[in-house]
Amino acid sequence: MKNLIERLRSWWKSRTPLDQQPIPEEDPLVKSSLATPIAISSLLLMLSLFWALYDETFGLRPWIGYQKEFVGAYRKVLTRIRPDRAAEEKQVQSSAAYQELSSQLQDAETAIQKEMTEIRNQEKLLKLQLATLSKVFTTTRSRIQAATYAVETSTGNTRIDLEEELEELNKGPYLAAIPETANEIPETRKYTFQEMEERFNALKAHQSDLQSRTVKLLREPSRLRRERNEYSQVRLTSLTENQVDGILNGLDNFTTEIKQIHIAEMGLVDRCESCHLGIRQPVVMKREDLDGNGLFVSHPNRDLLKIHDPESLGCSPCHNGNGVATVNTQQAHGQYKHWLRPLYSKENFEAGCIQCHESDRRLAMAPTLNSAKEFYYQKGCWGCHAREGFEVEPRLLRATHQAIDTLTLQRVKAETQITRTIDQADQAETNEEANRLYASVDAINMNISDIDSQLQQLNRQIPELMKEVKKAGPNLKEASLKLKREWIPVWIQNPQKFRPNTKMPRFRLEQNEIEAISAFIWQSGITNSLPKQPPGNPSRGKTLFETRGCMACHSMGEMNGGDFAANLNRVGEKANYDYLVRWIHNPRQRSLPYCPTHARDITPEDYASQGLPFEFGLEKNICPLGNHFLQVQQLVVMPSLRLTTKEARDIASYLMNQKHDDVKYEPAPYLDDPQLFEKGRALVRHNGCAGCHEIAGLENDGKIGVELTKEGSKPIERLDFALLTHTAKEEGWYNHKGFFEHKLENPAIFDQGKIKKPEERLRMPNFDLSPEEINALTTFLLGSVESIIPENFYHQPGGAGDDIQNGWPIVMKYNCVSCHQFVPEQQAALSQLPRYQTPDGKEQLPPSLVGEGARVNPEWLAKFLKNPALSQEKMNRNGVRPYLQVRMPTFNLSDGEIQKLVRFFSALSKESIPFTPPQLEPLSGRELTMARDLFTHRTAPCLRCHATGDPIADRDASAPNFQLVPERLKSNWTERWVVHPEIIRPGTAMPSGLFRKEGDRWVFALGDVRSLRNYKGDHAKLLVRYMLGFSPQEQRRLRGR
Amino acid sequence: MDWAQLAEIASAPDNIPIVALLFLIPFFTWYGFRQALATDRLITRLEEDPKLAKTHHRKIEPYRKGWDQKLYVWPYLLRIEFLSAIICTFILMVWSITLNAPLEEPANPNLTMNPSKAPWYFLGLQEMLVYFDPWIAGVVMPTLIIIGLIAIPYLDTNPLGNGYYTFRQRKFAILAFCFGFLVLWVAMVIIGTFIRGPGWMWFWPGETWDHHRLVFETNQDLHQVLGITSQPWIGMLGGTAVGLYFVISGWLVHKLMVLTEFNRKIYERMTLVQYLILQSLLVIMLALPVKIILRLLFRIKYIWVTPWFNI
Repeated sequence: MKNLIERLRSWWKSRTPLDQQPIPEEDPLVKSSLATPIAISSLLLMLSLFWALYDETFGLRPWIGYQKEFVGAYRKVLTRIRPDRAAEEKQVQSSAAYQELSSQLQDAETAIQKEMTEIRNQEKLLKLQLATLSKVFTTTRSRIQAATYAVETSTGNTRIDLEEELEELNKGPYLAAIPETANEIPETRKYTFQEMEERFNALKAHQSDLQSRTVKLLREPSRLRRERNEYSQVRLTSLTENQVDGILNGLDNFTTEIKQIHIAEMGLVDRCESCHLGIRQPVVMKREDLDGNGLFVSHPNRDLLKIHDPESLGCSPCHNGNGVATVNTQQAHGQYKHWLRPLYSKENFEAGCIQCHESDRRLAMAPTLNSAKEFYYQKGCWGCHAREGFEVEPRLLRATHQAIDTLTLQRVKAETQITRTIDQADQAETNEEANRLYASVDAINMNISDIDSQLQQLNRQIPELMKEVKKAGPNLKEASLKLKREWIPVWIQNPQKFRPNTKMPRFRLEQNEIEAISAFIWQSGITNSLPKQPPGNPSRGKTLFETRGCMACHSMGEMNGGDFAANLNRVGEKANYDYLVRWIHNPRQRSLPYCPTHARDITPEDYASQGLPFEFGLEKNICPLGNHFLQVQQLVVMPSLRLTTKEARDIASYLMNQKHDDVKYEPAPYLDDPQLFEKGRALVRHNGCAGCHEIAGLENDGKIGVELTKEGSKPIERLDFALLTHTAKEEGWYNHKGFFEHKLENPAIFDQGKIKKPEERLRMPNFDLSPEEINALTTFLLGSVESIIPENFYHQPGGAGDDIQNGWPIVMKYNCVSCHQFVPEQQAALSQLPRYQTPDGKEQLPPSLVGEGARVNPEWLAKFLKNPALSQEKMNRNGVRPYLQVRMPTFNLSDGEIQKLVRFFSALSKESIPFTPPQLEPLSGRELTMARDLFTHRTAPCLRCHATGDPIADRDASAPNFQLVPERLKSNWTERWVVHPEIIRPGTAMPSGLFRKEGDRWVFALGDVRSLRNYKGDHAKLLVRYMLGFSPQEQRRLRGR
Repeated sequence: MDWAQLAEIASAPDNIPIVALLFLIPFFTWYGFRQALATDRLITRLEEDPKLAKTHHRKIEPYRKGWDQKLYVWPYLLRIEFLSAIICTFILMVWSITLNAPLEEPANPNLTMNPSKAPWYFLGLQEMLVYFDPWIAGVVMPTLIIIGLIAIPYLDTNPLGNGYYTFRQRKFAILAFCFGFLVLWVAMVIIGTFIRGPGWMWFWPGETWDHHRLVFETNQDLHQVLGITSQPWIGMLGGTAVGLYFVISGWLVHKLMVLTEFNRKIYERMTLVQYLILQSLLVIMLALPVKIILRLLFRIKYIWVTPWFNI
């Protein structure tokens, strides 16, 4: 190094200054040649020019190369599949049915052949005749038209000349040689214009006549050909050999060009298919078909593409990326700093669905997204983070309250106006004036009564809407009644440790904070006590727990069960028996009602102060302190199973036994420390506990988290990577995906390295998410963007589609899917339990609801959903299927929810609403006898299995209550059902093959019914008519038989 | 040492001209001075040797007797310019093929980029905003720069040094230019590019540009330093300080203008108007480095605070 500096210095010193350099002999400015430098630099310039040309044609257009490559690769694939296609086609063609169709076609073609030849000959002659005539005729016609116009517009003397000229033209004569038969030498004849015109029209008429005859003749053969083609098309798995050849020929003329989709309405230009040429090819190509080259693979989900035609939607609205760019992969995929919508990676591609499907809670082809939305709802993310489409109920409730306030104000105004007008009228000077004013008072009164009726309607909605509002977590006002005190701090510290997979996340709390929060929770709630309950029978409780359907939502030990609600493995360690009994008996029961107007619980003292008895419930829901509605239910979705108190005690006793024996809880004396109250309250508020729990005094607390509706399009600069910014950039996760994934995995991650006070720390708790859950939620967040798609592209189905959109959130809210199957691809969690795997067990499963809308009368369904026992007295049973151990619970659904569910079922089954039952012809006396014979036939007596509502007879029943048929079932469905139960509901116990087809009618198949021998009608229809008129009297009559 | 950061700044397509400037400006300054000094030596020789002066017909070396006294623009100059044009075109071609225009995302009015930098040729102006209030740095100063540049031919009363490189005969002009352009303008462009990071904070080259960086940098106005709080005194203090600066620097500039015998001759050729304009332009130019030093070393924000303008 030193050496080098030394040498540099000596070199610098040894330089000769400019003025001491030797002067050349010749003047360098004049004599020296610049040829070499100019030549070299010109050469370089030329080279750069060629470089620019190359760059312009190939460097910036990599797709030219790809397209060439594609032609080769595609040809290879087509050539490879061609023999298979030919073989398959041949196989289909050799089938008997195809041959039959072919011969029919041939016959039809032969039949018309003779006539067709004749027509063809005539057409040939006609063509010749027309050609000869029209040559003369059309020129003449043009001249005459021009001459006529000249006459029309002329005046004076010229007119006479012109008229003469026109006459000349009309007269002709014109020469034409029209052949009259096919093989003659035509004779030249003279025509006037009129004669020519007539001849011409006649020829034209003949021509159209021939054409219509051809069409008529070809009708039958073309129908047969279509039928044959359809037959083979349905049976072929892919293209025919001819089609493959067609594509191969097309490849020879393949034009290398930008393949572009332009949708003006969206302002969209997508050139994705300039490189991804295989996406929409009729031959499905996978990576392995293309020797591992992924560039030309077909779209992996053809069905999806069928509903989302790229021709009208493009590619980038769903997948993101820079659709216009073609210069290189990075640009085209938008994977660079300044493109705000980079291509979704494979695991997140469902994010693209959200912009248009915001209102769909459940999408048929987006399982990841569905699970994310479910997670978001079930785990109560919305407790802290508002997002469109979630927590609709409280918003609706608020809006209704506002509407009421506005109307009330209007009413007050109207009333003052009335008083004022009456005053004016009383002081009016004339009688007319007074009368006019009185009349206007009448008008205002009308207006008031209108407002009143509106108010009444809105007021009726309020308690219904209050029923719909739920919270993700339990009511903590009752913590001291419900929980063992020592357990509370242990739970808060790490809920996951006590109960893996619980909804409750782990907060970042110090020990003293946990103590303060526990103390606040313990002290803030209700202090009165519950009635003591005698112990129940745990073993009976176990059976009830396992059979009544608790396990659709709850799981227990190794027996599994649903994951919708808590795993009850260790519930005995935390709960109080007395509370548990009440909870199981009716989970919605509150100790005290809550008044939203006073923002506190209403105590018995409040009732006493107004001289009212302490009574509240769904019927008695008016606040004693004022005229407004009370929240009389717990804000939980857990339904009532209509158990008796005794059953509730049994189950509670069983649950109280569920605990780990070796667990010891530290005593927690600080729970009663009043000094911790305020600190705990501040902490509870700071951590947003009230987002999920009902907590005394914090019922109206706002959300503490950021709204997530448009989180995916937040500028990256607004996502605080804090001290990890540079790490993220280096490791390549400085993007939305990286932020969401890291945040979800460890919500505290962006506090890393920061020195913060506890109250300044990031508050999001840790949910201990699995990688799948993280991916699903990331997908959900990535897709929650400010849409660039015009609104008319959104999925706004209207009508039945809307009903489906509105129904799913309710179905998911109450976890109906855990017991029932709604769509074929979905499996109920309950049906996966070992108990229900045996044939007998399967009989005990709740019914599948696929096609429920087609099956039942919507009015009846609404009634059933309101009270599944279908009776006010006998509550401890199932209304329709009394034989099932599993109980259809009472959900206390609001009228709105019931309405939505009923519409949802109808929409799923493509049934129209409102439903008008078809008028069935009443049975005549003879028909009645025949129907009874059919109904009670010894081979298949219906009432052997079907329940009737009669407790003694129903003991052995294993099918739905027959008494309900008239009001419950739709006749069309019933008819299909008695004929094909196995098809409608595979695996059903209802016997199939009761009827067989005989001509156009169904005939009883299991034996001879004497009275039916001469009956010409449809037996199945007869039975259905009888069933839909079934009554208790009829049943009594049958018992007599 | 964060090499990645340095590479990121240096390789940004926006900054290519500035990276080139880093090398080209010293080179051409050296190249010009080499020729100027050689000419100066020739001038000395010619002054000493009047005979040679009669026969030496070119103002720059080399020259031999018998060579043409004068050379025509065509072809002798134009062919050289043609060659330069080809080379420049070649460079521009390669540049345009290899580097794309640095386009960014659509502007978002709710989100300003940080650091938000002017085009490279305006970075000097932007840097000036650190030292003066926007009215002075953004309006007065640029106007004065333009007026000053326009005024140069009218202020220049030195008849020597036209058409050849020389330092000796135009020392004052060349030094004033070097100071104004190289020291103030170019240096500020380089500071703006390489030194100023997020929040327009001072990052030494190789320091990571951290958006979350917090530095202790409390700037005070002069009156705050001196603990003056009430208005007439604040204004008067500032006025006095600024006036004092004008007097002192005016005196210094005057000393510089009459430093040598040659300078005095030039000074005598100037009219009063010329002299006053030159004086004020130079004094104002000098105010910039003074303010830079006050601001960067002594953390003084404004000297003179008035309700209408701050200096």
